[in-house]
Amino acid sequence: MQPKAPLGLAFSIPKGEDWRNEDSFHRSAKGVYALSDGASVSFDSASWARILVRRYTRNPVFTPEWLAAAIAEFRKLHDRDTLPWMKQASFDKGSFASLLGIRFLERGRLIQVLSIGDSLAVLCDGDCIKATFPYSVASEFNRAPRLLCTNQAENVFLDGVDVGYDLVADWSFSGLEQPALLCMTDALGQWLLSQRDRDASPISELRRVKTPAAFARFVQVERAAGRMKRDDTTLLALW
Amino acid sequence: MPYQAEISRENPTCILFVIDQSGSMDEITETGRSKAAFVADVLNKTLYTLVTTCSKADGVRNYFDVGVIAYGGSEVVSGFGGALSEGIVHPIQAISEHTLRIEERHKKVDDGAGGIIELKTKFPIWFEPKSTGGTPMRAALGKTMEMVAGWCETHPGSYPPTILHVTDGQSTDGAPEDVAGGLRQVATKDGETLLFNLHVTTAGGLEILFPTSETDLRDEYSRMLFRMSSPLPAHLAKFAGDKGYAVANGSRGFIFNGDPQCVVDFFEIGTRPKLVADR
Repeated sequence: MQPKAPLGLAFSIPKGEDWRNEDSFHRSAKGVYALSDGASVSFDSASWARILVRRYTRNPVFTPEWLAAAIAEFRKLHDRDTLPWMKQASFDKGSFASLLGIRFLERGRLIQVLSIGDSLAVLCDGDCIKATFPYSVASEFNRAPRLLCTNQAENVFLDGVDVGYDLVADWSFSGLEQPALLCMTDALGQWLLSQRDRDASPISELRRVKTPAAFARFVQVERAAGRMKRDDTTLLALW
Repeated sequence: MPYQAEISRENPTCILFVIDQSGSMDEITETGRSKAAFVADVLNKTLYTLVTTCSKADGVRNYFDVGVIAYGGSEVVSGFGGALSEGIVHPIQAISEHTLRIEERHKKVDDGAGGIIELKTKFPIWFEPKSTGGTPMRAALGKTMEMVAGWCETHPGSYPPTILHVTDGQSTDGAPEDVAGGLRQVATKDGETLLFNLHVTTAGGLEILFPTSETDLRDEYSRMLFRMSSPLPAHLAKFAGDKGYAVANGSRGFIFNGDPQCVVDFFEIGTRPKLVADR
Protein backbone atom coordinates (compact mmCIF):
# COMPACT_ATOMS: atom_id res chain seq x y z
CA MET A 1 0.00 0.00 0.00
CA GLN A 2 1.46 3.34 -1.07
CA PRO A 3 1.18 6.10 1.53
CA LYS A 4 -1.57 8.43 0.46
CA ALA A 5 0.07 11.63 1.60
CA PRO A 6 3.22 12.14 -0.42
CA LEU A 7 5.04 13.92 2.37
CA GLY A 8 2.77 13.65 5.34
CA LEU A 9 3.88 16.04 8.01
CA ALA A 10 7.37 17.38 8.54
CA PHE A 11 8.50 19.56 11.43
CA SER A 12 11.91 20.67 12.56
CA ILE A 13 13.13 23.07 15.20
CA PRO A 14 16.67 24.01 16.27
CA LYS A 15 18.12 23.39 19.70
CA GLY A 16 17.74 27.05 20.61
CA GLU A 17 16.27 30.26 19.27
CA ASP A 18 19.51 31.69 17.90
CA TRP A 19 20.95 28.39 16.74
CA ARG A 20 21.25 27.16 13.20
CA ASN A 21 19.24 24.01 12.63
CA GLU A 22 21.65 21.34 11.40
CA ASP A 23 18.98 18.72 10.70
CA SER A 24 17.87 18.31 7.09
CA PHE A 25 15.09 16.39 5.37
CA HIS A 26 13.98 15.95 1.78
CA ARG A 27 11.70 13.84 -0.35
CA SER A 28 11.49 13.05 -4.03
CA ALA A 29 8.45 12.97 -6.27
CA LYS A 30 8.91 9.19 -6.43
CA GLY A 31 8.30 8.86 -2.70
CA VAL A 32 11.83 8.55 -1.42
CA TYR A 33 12.36 10.23 1.95
CA ALA A 34 15.57 11.15 3.72
CA LEU A 35 16.46 12.68 7.05
CA SER A 36 19.89 13.67 8.33
CA ASP A 37 21.13 15.03 11.64
CA GLY A 38 24.33 17.07 11.32
CA ALA A 39 26.61 16.77 14.36
CA SER A 40 27.09 20.19 15.92
CA VAL A 41 30.71 19.63 16.88
CA SER A 42 32.01 19.49 13.36
CA PHE A 43 32.93 21.93 10.61
CA ASP A 44 29.85 22.32 8.40
CA SER A 45 27.47 19.55 9.28
CA ALA A 46 24.40 21.48 8.10
CA SER A 47 25.67 21.52 4.51
CA TRP A 48 26.76 17.90 4.78
CA ALA A 49 23.33 16.84 6.04
CA ARG A 50 21.66 18.74 3.21
CA ILE A 51 23.86 17.08 0.58
CA LEU A 52 23.15 13.62 2.01
CA VAL A 53 19.36 13.94 1.97
CA ARG A 54 19.19 15.50 -1.48
CA ARG A 55 21.48 12.88 -2.97
CA TYR A 56 19.64 10.02 -1.28
CA THR A 57 16.26 11.08 -2.55
CA ARG A 58 17.69 11.36 -6.08
CA ASN A 59 19.54 8.05 -5.88
CA PRO A 60 18.65 5.82 -2.93
CA VAL A 61 21.28 3.17 -3.57
CA PHE A 62 23.95 3.66 -0.95
CA THR A 63 27.37 2.46 -2.12
CA PRO A 64 31.00 3.53 -1.53
CA GLU A 65 30.82 5.41 -4.84
CA TRP A 66 27.65 7.18 -3.72
CA LEU A 67 29.42 8.33 -0.57
CA ALA A 68 32.56 9.41 -2.44
CA ALA A 69 30.44 11.54 -4.79
CA ALA A 70 28.67 13.17 -1.85
CA ILE A 71 32.03 13.97 -0.23
CA ALA A 72 33.28 15.44 -3.51
CA GLU A 73 30.24 17.71 -3.66
CA PHE A 74 30.82 18.85 -0.08
CA ARG A 75 34.51 19.60 -0.68
CA LYS A 76 33.58 21.98 -3.51
CA LEU A 77 31.79 24.20 -0.98
CA HIS A 78 35.01 25.25 0.74
CA ASP A 79 38.42 26.29 -0.58
CA ARG A 80 40.59 24.41 1.91
CA ASP A 81 43.85 26.15 1.07
CA THR A 82 42.51 29.63 1.77
CA LEU A 83 40.83 28.77 5.07
CA PRO A 84 42.39 30.16 8.26
CA TRP A 85 44.28 27.50 10.20
CA MET A 86 41.52 26.65 12.68
CA LYS A 87 38.89 26.22 9.99
CA GLN A 88 41.28 24.27 7.81
CA ALA A 89 41.99 21.91 10.72
CA SER A 90 38.28 21.51 11.40
CA PHE A 91 37.57 20.99 7.68
CA ASP A 92 40.26 18.27 7.58
CA LYS A 93 38.82 16.59 10.66
CA GLY A 94 35.52 16.35 8.85
CA SER A 95 31.82 17.09 9.14
CA PHE A 96 29.55 14.37 10.50
CA ALA A 97 25.88 13.52 9.96
CA SER A 98 23.44 10.65 10.21
CA LEU A 99 21.42 9.40 7.25
CA LEU A 100 17.98 7.83 7.49
CA GLY A 101 16.47 6.93 4.13
CA ILE A 102 13.07 5.47 3.33
CA ARG A 103 11.97 4.06 0.00
CA PHE A 104 8.96 2.09 -1.08
CA LEU A 105 9.63 -0.94 -3.27
CA GLU A 106 7.48 -3.54 -5.01
CA ARG A 107 4.67 -1.08 -5.70
CA GLY A 108 4.67 0.09 -2.12
CA ARG A 109 4.42 -3.37 -0.56
CA LEU A 110 7.94 -3.21 0.87
CA ILE A 111 9.39 -0.34 2.88
CA GLN A 112 13.16 -0.26 2.90
CA VAL A 113 14.77 1.70 5.72
CA LEU A 114 18.45 2.62 5.53
CA SER A 115 19.91 3.98 8.75
CA ILE A 116 23.45 5.13 9.39
CA GLY A 117 23.82 6.82 12.76
CA ASP A 118 21.22 7.56 15.40
CA SER A 119 18.17 8.85 13.53
CA LEU A 120 15.22 6.57 14.17
CA ALA A 121 12.52 5.05 11.97
CA VAL A 122 9.31 3.81 13.61
CA LEU A 123 6.62 1.59 12.13
CA CYS A 124 3.23 1.98 13.81
CA ASP A 125 -0.22 0.46 13.66
CA GLY A 126 -2.52 3.04 15.17
CA ASP A 127 -0.88 4.02 18.45
CA CYS A 128 1.02 0.77 18.70
CA ILE A 129 4.73 0.66 17.86
CA LYS A 130 5.36 -2.38 15.68
CA ALA A 131 9.07 -1.88 14.93
CA THR A 132 11.88 0.63 15.35
CA PHE A 133 15.21 0.89 13.57
CA PRO A 134 18.16 1.09 14.20
CA TYR A 135 17.57 1.26 17.96
CA SER A 136 14.97 -0.45 20.09
CA VAL A 137 15.74 0.88 23.59
CA ALA A 138 16.35 4.46 24.71
CA SER A 139 19.73 3.73 26.32
CA GLU A 140 21.22 2.96 22.90
CA PHE A 141 21.17 6.69 22.22
CA ASN A 142 23.79 7.19 24.94
CA ARG A 143 26.45 5.49 22.82
CA ALA A 144 28.51 7.51 20.34
CA PRO A 145 26.86 6.82 16.97
CA ARG A 146 28.81 6.04 13.83
CA LEU A 147 28.08 8.86 11.41
CA LEU A 148 28.91 9.58 7.79
CA CYS A 149 31.87 11.92 7.50
CA THR A 150 33.37 14.16 4.84
CA ASN A 151 36.77 12.77 5.90
CA GLN A 152 36.95 9.32 4.32
CA ALA A 153 39.24 8.04 7.06
CA GLU A 154 36.31 8.36 9.48
CA ASN A 155 34.11 6.15 7.29
CA VAL A 156 36.24 3.03 7.66
CA PHE A 157 33.57 1.52 9.89
CA LEU A 158 31.58 0.97 6.69
CA ASP A 159 34.26 -1.47 5.50
CA GLY A 160 33.23 -3.82 8.26
CA VAL A 161 29.49 -3.78 7.66
CA ASP A 162 27.20 -5.36 5.11
CA VAL A 163 25.15 -2.35 4.06
CA GLY A 164 22.20 -4.41 2.84
CA TYR A 165 22.04 -6.44 6.03
CA ASP A 166 23.46 -4.36 8.89
CA LEU A 167 22.13 -0.94 7.91
CA VAL A 168 18.83 -1.80 6.30
CA ALA A 169 15.47 -2.94 7.69
CA ASP A 170 12.71 -4.23 5.43
CA TRP A 171 9.22 -3.48 6.67
CA SER A 172 5.75 -3.72 5.22
CA PHE A 173 2.38 -2.09 5.84
CA SER A 174 0.67 -5.40 5.02
CA GLY A 175 -1.63 -6.58 7.76
CA LEU A 176 -1.62 -3.26 9.58
CA GLU A 177 -4.98 -1.59 10.08
CA GLN A 178 -3.75 1.97 10.60
CA PRO A 179 -0.21 1.91 9.26
CA ALA A 180 2.09 4.85 9.78
CA LEU A 181 5.78 5.49 9.39
CA LEU A 182 7.73 8.04 11.44
CA CYS A 183 11.29 9.26 11.00
CA MET A 184 12.96 11.37 13.65
CA THR A 185 16.31 12.66 14.82
CA ASP A 186 17.89 11.41 18.02
CA ALA A 187 16.38 13.69 20.68
CA LEU A 188 12.85 12.76 19.63
CA GLY A 189 13.82 9.13 19.05
CA GLN A 190 15.22 8.82 22.56
CA TRP A 191 12.10 10.50 23.96
CA LEU A 192 9.84 8.11 22.07
CA LEU A 193 11.65 4.95 23.17
CA SER A 194 11.84 6.15 26.77
CA GLN A 195 8.07 6.85 26.74
CA ARG A 196 6.90 3.81 24.77
CA ASP A 197 5.56 1.89 27.76
CA ARG A 198 3.44 4.72 29.16
CA ASP A 199 -0.31 4.31 29.34
CA ALA A 200 -0.76 7.29 27.06
CA SER A 201 1.11 6.18 23.96
CA PRO A 202 3.81 8.57 22.73
CA ILE A 203 2.48 7.88 19.24
CA SER A 204 -0.90 9.35 20.13
CA GLU A 205 0.90 12.37 21.51
CA LEU A 206 2.78 12.84 18.22
CA ARG A 207 -0.40 12.24 16.24
CA ARG A 208 -1.98 15.27 17.90
CA VAL A 209 0.79 17.51 16.55
CA LYS A 210 -0.47 18.95 13.28
CA THR A 211 1.27 22.29 12.86
CA PRO A 212 4.83 23.65 13.25
CA ALA A 213 3.70 25.76 16.21
CA ALA A 214 2.18 22.73 17.93
CA PHE A 215 5.39 20.78 17.32
CA ALA A 216 7.48 23.62 18.79
CA ARG A 217 5.21 23.74 21.86
CA PHE A 218 5.36 19.97 22.31
CA VAL A 219 9.18 19.95 22.12
CA GLN A 220 9.49 22.91 24.49
CA VAL A 221 7.27 21.24 27.08
CA GLU A 222 9.21 17.98 26.91
CA ARG A 223 12.56 19.78 27.10
CA ALA A 224 11.41 21.83 30.07
CA ALA A 225 10.24 18.68 31.84
CA GLY A 226 13.68 17.14 31.27
CA ARG A 227 12.21 14.33 29.20
CA MET A 228 13.77 15.41 25.91
CA LYS A 229 17.39 16.36 25.18
CA ARG A 230 17.92 19.91 23.97
CA ASP A 231 19.01 19.32 20.39
CA ASP A 232 17.81 20.03 16.87
CA THR A 233 14.61 18.02 16.63
CA THR A 234 12.91 16.81 13.47
CA LEU A 235 9.89 14.63 12.76
CA LEU A 236 8.72 13.24 9.42
CA ALA A 237 5.36 11.58 9.80
CA LEU A 238 3.65 9.50 7.12
CA TRP A 239 0.36 8.96 8.93
CA MET B 1 25.55 13.12 39.95
CA PRO B 2 28.54 15.44 39.42
CA TYR B 3 30.28 16.07 36.10
CA GLN B 4 27.07 15.84 34.08
CA ALA B 5 26.66 19.51 33.06
CA GLU B 6 26.33 20.05 29.34
CA ILE B 7 29.16 22.12 27.91
CA SER B 8 27.89 24.75 25.53
CA ARG B 9 28.48 28.37 24.57
CA GLU B 10 26.09 29.41 27.35
CA ASN B 11 27.84 27.15 29.84
CA PRO B 12 31.51 26.76 28.87
CA THR B 13 34.02 24.92 31.01
CA CYS B 14 37.53 25.95 32.03
CA ILE B 15 40.74 24.09 31.31
CA LEU B 16 43.96 25.27 32.94
CA PHE B 17 47.39 23.88 32.19
CA VAL B 18 49.95 24.38 34.97
CA ILE B 19 53.43 23.80 33.61
CA ASP B 20 56.68 23.40 35.54
CA GLN B 21 59.46 25.41 33.81
CA SER B 22 62.16 24.86 36.44
CA GLY B 23 65.79 24.25 35.45
CA SER B 24 65.55 20.46 35.57
CA MET B 25 63.02 20.50 32.72
CA ASP B 26 66.01 20.86 30.36
CA GLU B 27 66.94 17.18 30.84
CA ILE B 28 66.83 15.20 27.63
CA THR B 29 64.11 12.55 27.30
CA GLU B 30 64.01 9.38 25.20
CA THR B 31 62.48 11.46 22.40
CA GLY B 32 65.85 13.22 22.08
CA ARG B 33 64.36 16.51 23.18
CA SER B 34 64.27 18.18 26.56
CA LYS B 35 61.35 17.55 28.87
CA ALA B 36 60.40 21.22 28.44
CA ALA B 37 60.44 21.02 24.64
CA PHE B 38 58.44 17.81 24.59
CA VAL B 39 55.81 19.13 27.01
CA ALA B 40 55.57 22.38 25.01
CA ASP B 41 54.97 20.40 21.83
CA VAL B 42 52.22 18.30 23.43
CA LEU B 43 50.62 21.40 24.93
CA ASN B 44 50.58 23.20 21.57
CA LYS B 45 49.02 20.13 19.97
CA THR B 46 46.41 19.97 22.74
CA LEU B 47 45.50 23.63 22.28
CA TYR B 48 45.29 23.02 18.52
CA THR B 49 42.90 20.12 19.10
CA LEU B 50 40.74 22.13 21.51
CA VAL B 51 40.44 25.02 19.05
CA THR B 52 39.72 22.64 16.18
CA THR B 53 36.96 20.96 18.20
CA CYS B 54 35.29 24.36 18.62
CA SER B 55 35.76 25.52 15.01
CA LYS B 56 32.94 25.52 12.54
CA ALA B 57 32.55 27.05 9.12
CA ASP B 58 31.00 30.15 10.69
CA GLY B 59 33.59 30.66 13.43
CA VAL B 60 35.01 29.40 16.70
CA ARG B 61 32.49 28.60 19.43
CA ASN B 62 33.42 29.41 23.00
CA TYR B 63 32.92 26.02 24.61
CA PHE B 64 36.12 26.45 26.66
CA ASP B 65 37.94 29.07 28.66
CA VAL B 66 41.61 28.11 28.58
CA GLY B 67 44.69 29.22 30.47
CA VAL B 68 48.32 28.28 30.91
CA ILE B 69 50.18 29.01 34.15
CA ALA B 70 53.94 28.58 33.88
CA TYR B 71 56.23 28.46 36.89
CA GLY B 72 59.99 28.40 37.29
CA GLY B 73 62.68 30.34 39.15
CA SER B 74 60.77 32.85 41.22
CA GLU B 75 58.02 33.41 38.66
CA VAL B 76 54.42 32.30 38.30
CA VAL B 77 53.16 33.83 35.05
CA SER B 78 50.87 33.31 32.10
CA GLY B 79 52.37 30.72 29.79
CA PHE B 80 51.00 32.58 26.79
CA GLY B 81 52.91 35.28 24.96
CA GLY B 82 51.80 38.35 23.03
CA ALA B 83 48.26 39.62 23.51
CA LEU B 84 47.32 36.62 25.64
CA SER B 85 50.02 37.30 28.24
CA GLU B 86 47.89 40.02 29.83
CA GLY B 87 45.57 37.55 31.58
CA ILE B 88 45.61 33.89 32.49
CA VAL B 89 42.29 32.51 31.26
CA HIS B 90 40.89 33.36 27.81
CA PRO B 91 37.91 32.22 25.73
CA ILE B 92 38.97 29.64 23.16
CA GLN B 93 38.12 32.08 20.36
CA ALA B 94 40.76 34.52 21.65
CA ILE B 95 43.25 31.65 21.89
CA SER B 96 42.57 30.83 18.24
CA GLU B 97 43.21 34.40 17.15
CA HIS B 98 46.44 35.07 19.06
CA THR B 99 49.16 32.60 18.24
CA LEU B 100 52.87 33.31 18.53
CA ARG B 101 53.34 32.06 14.99
CA ILE B 102 51.97 29.60 12.47
CA GLU B 103 54.30 26.87 11.20
CA GLU B 104 53.72 24.94 8.00
CA ARG B 105 53.79 21.18 8.45
CA HIS B 106 52.98 18.18 6.29
CA LYS B 107 50.77 15.25 7.17
CA LYS B 108 49.88 12.07 5.34
CA VAL B 109 46.19 11.34 4.96
CA ASP B 110 43.93 8.76 3.35
CA ASP B 111 42.90 9.97 -0.13
CA GLY B 112 39.65 8.03 0.03
CA ALA B 113 40.65 5.77 -2.82
CA GLY B 114 43.03 3.45 -1.04
CA GLY B 115 46.03 5.73 -1.31
CA ILE B 116 47.90 8.20 0.87
CA ILE B 117 48.48 11.82 0.01
CA GLU B 118 50.54 14.47 1.74
CA LEU B 119 48.70 17.60 2.84
CA LYS B 120 50.21 20.91 3.80
CA THR B 121 48.78 22.05 7.12
CA LYS B 122 49.14 25.13 9.26
CA PHE B 123 50.27 24.41 12.81
CA PRO B 124 49.98 27.20 15.40
CA ILE B 125 52.41 27.75 18.25
CA TRP B 126 51.35 29.40 21.52
CA PHE B 127 53.76 28.06 24.08
CA GLU B 128 57.57 28.04 23.99
CA PRO B 129 59.74 25.70 26.08
CA LYS B 130 61.64 27.31 28.92
CA SER B 131 63.56 25.92 31.91
CA THR B 132 65.17 27.93 34.65
CA GLY B 133 65.69 28.04 38.43
CA GLY B 134 63.61 26.52 41.19
CA THR B 135 60.14 25.02 41.36
CA PRO B 136 57.62 27.37 43.03
CA MET B 137 54.83 24.82 42.86
CA ARG B 138 53.03 26.02 45.95
CA ALA B 139 52.78 29.54 44.57
CA ALA B 140 51.68 28.20 41.17
CA LEU B 141 48.87 26.12 42.65
CA GLY B 142 47.89 29.08 44.85
CA LYS B 143 47.63 31.23 41.72
CA THR B 144 45.63 28.48 40.05
CA MET B 145 43.21 28.34 42.97
CA GLU B 146 42.74 32.09 42.77
CA MET B 147 41.92 31.90 39.04
CA VAL B 148 39.62 28.90 39.43
CA ALA B 149 37.71 30.42 42.36
CA GLY B 150 36.98 33.54 40.32
CA TRP B 151 35.92 31.47 37.34
CA CYS B 152 33.57 29.24 39.37
CA GLU B 153 31.95 32.27 40.91
CA THR B 154 30.96 33.56 37.49
CA HIS B 155 30.06 30.10 36.07
CA PRO B 156 28.14 28.38 38.89
CA GLY B 157 26.19 26.05 36.58
CA SER B 158 29.09 24.95 34.41
CA TYR B 159 31.06 21.71 34.26
CA PRO B 160 33.82 22.42 36.78
CA PRO B 161 37.38 23.43 35.83
CA THR B 162 39.97 20.84 34.89
CA ILE B 163 43.60 21.46 35.90
CA LEU B 164 46.38 19.55 34.13
CA HIS B 165 49.57 19.97 36.14
CA VAL B 166 52.87 18.83 34.64
CA THR B 167 55.99 18.71 36.82
CA ASP B 168 59.28 16.86 37.10
CA GLY B 169 60.51 18.02 40.44
CA GLN B 170 60.12 18.73 44.06
CA SER B 171 58.50 21.97 45.11
CA THR B 172 61.07 24.52 46.29
CA ASP B 173 58.66 26.91 48.00
CA GLY B 174 57.03 24.54 50.48
CA ALA B 175 54.75 21.51 50.39
CA PRO B 176 51.85 22.12 48.01
CA GLU B 177 49.50 19.38 49.22
CA ASP B 178 47.25 21.60 51.31
CA VAL B 179 46.95 24.15 48.50
CA ALA B 180 46.06 21.34 46.08
CA GLY B 181 43.42 20.14 48.54
CA GLY B 182 41.93 23.61 48.68
CA LEU B 183 42.03 23.88 44.90
CA ARG B 184 40.11 20.60 44.50
CA GLN B 185 37.41 21.90 46.83
CA VAL B 186 36.63 24.90 44.63
CA ALA B 187 33.43 23.82 42.92
CA THR B 188 30.53 24.65 40.68
CA LYS B 189 27.09 23.13 41.20
CA ASP B 190 28.24 20.33 38.90
CA GLY B 191 31.19 19.21 41.01
CA GLU B 192 34.61 19.98 42.41
CA THR B 193 37.56 21.16 40.37
CA LEU B 194 39.46 18.27 38.81
CA LEU B 195 43.23 18.29 39.41
CA PHE B 196 45.25 15.81 37.38
CA ASN B 197 49.02 15.49 37.83
CA LEU B 198 51.66 14.26 35.42
CA HIS B 199 55.07 13.50 36.91
CA VAL B 200 57.61 13.44 34.09
CA THR B 201 60.98 11.89 34.83
CA THR B 202 64.05 10.70 32.96
CA ALA B 203 64.91 8.21 35.69
CA GLY B 204 63.55 5.16 33.86
CA GLY B 205 61.99 2.26 35.72
CA LEU B 206 58.39 1.44 36.34
CA GLU B 207 55.63 3.61 34.88
CA ILE B 208 52.53 4.01 37.01
CA LEU B 209 49.37 5.02 35.18
CA PHE B 210 46.10 6.12 36.76
CA PRO B 211 46.74 4.22 40.04
CA THR B 212 44.15 3.60 42.72
CA SER B 213 46.63 3.73 45.59
CA GLU B 214 50.09 5.08 46.39
CA THR B 215 51.46 1.66 47.31
CA ASP B 216 53.65 1.24 44.22
CA LEU B 217 55.04 4.76 44.27
CA ARG B 218 58.59 4.76 45.60
CA ASP B 219 59.29 8.27 46.79
CA GLU B 220 57.31 10.51 49.08
CA TYR B 221 57.10 13.21 46.41
CA SER B 222 55.29 10.96 43.92
CA ARG B 223 53.02 9.73 46.67
CA MET B 224 52.15 13.32 47.47
CA LEU B 225 51.33 14.05 43.80
CA PHE B 226 49.07 10.99 43.83
CA ARG B 227 47.25 12.28 46.90
CA MET B 228 46.93 15.67 45.23
CA SER B 229 45.14 14.11 42.22
CA SER B 230 41.38 13.84 41.74
CA PRO B 231 39.70 10.51 41.01
CA LEU B 232 38.77 10.21 37.34
CA PRO B 233 35.05 10.88 36.77
CA ALA B 234 33.23 7.99 35.09
CA HIS B 235 33.26 9.41 31.54
CA LEU B 236 37.01 10.15 31.66
CA ALA B 237 37.72 6.74 33.20
CA LYS B 238 35.79 5.18 30.32
CA PHE B 239 37.73 7.21 27.78
CA ALA B 240 41.04 6.17 29.41
CA GLY B 241 39.83 2.56 29.37
CA ASP B 242 38.92 2.86 25.70
CA LYS B 243 42.50 4.00 25.05
CA GLY B 244 43.77 0.80 26.62
CA TYR B 245 44.62 1.92 30.14
CA ALA B 246 43.78 -0.41 33.03
CA VAL B 247 41.48 1.93 34.88
CA ALA B 248 39.70 0.76 38.02
CA ASN B 249 37.10 2.28 40.30
CA GLY B 250 38.97 4.98 42.22
CA SER B 251 41.74 5.50 39.67
CA ARG B 252 43.29 8.91 40.11
CA GLY B 253 44.21 11.33 37.35
CA PHE B 254 47.92 10.76 37.94
CA ILE B 255 50.73 9.40 35.78
CA PHE B 256 54.26 8.74 37.00
CA ASN B 257 57.14 8.17 34.59
CA GLY B 258 54.86 7.65 31.58
CA ASP B 259 56.36 7.17 28.13
CA PRO B 260 55.82 9.89 25.51
CA GLN B 261 52.55 8.34 24.35
CA CYS B 262 51.29 8.38 27.95
CA VAL B 263 52.06 12.09 28.14
CA VAL B 264 50.08 12.70 24.95
CA ASP B 265 47.21 10.56 26.27
CA PHE B 266 47.24 12.34 29.63
CA PHE B 267 46.53 15.62 27.87
CA GLU B 268 43.92 14.07 25.61
CA ILE B 269 42.04 12.31 28.41
CA GLY B 270 42.14 15.36 30.67
CA THR B 271 40.74 17.67 28.01
CA ARG B 272 37.83 15.43 27.10
CA PRO B 273 34.85 16.72 29.07
CA LYS B 274 31.54 15.96 27.37
CA LEU B 275 30.32 18.57 24.94
CA VAL B 276 26.61 19.15 24.75
CA ALA B 277 26.74 18.57 21.06
CA ASP B 278 29.31 15.81 21.15
CA ARG B 279 28.58 13.38 18.42
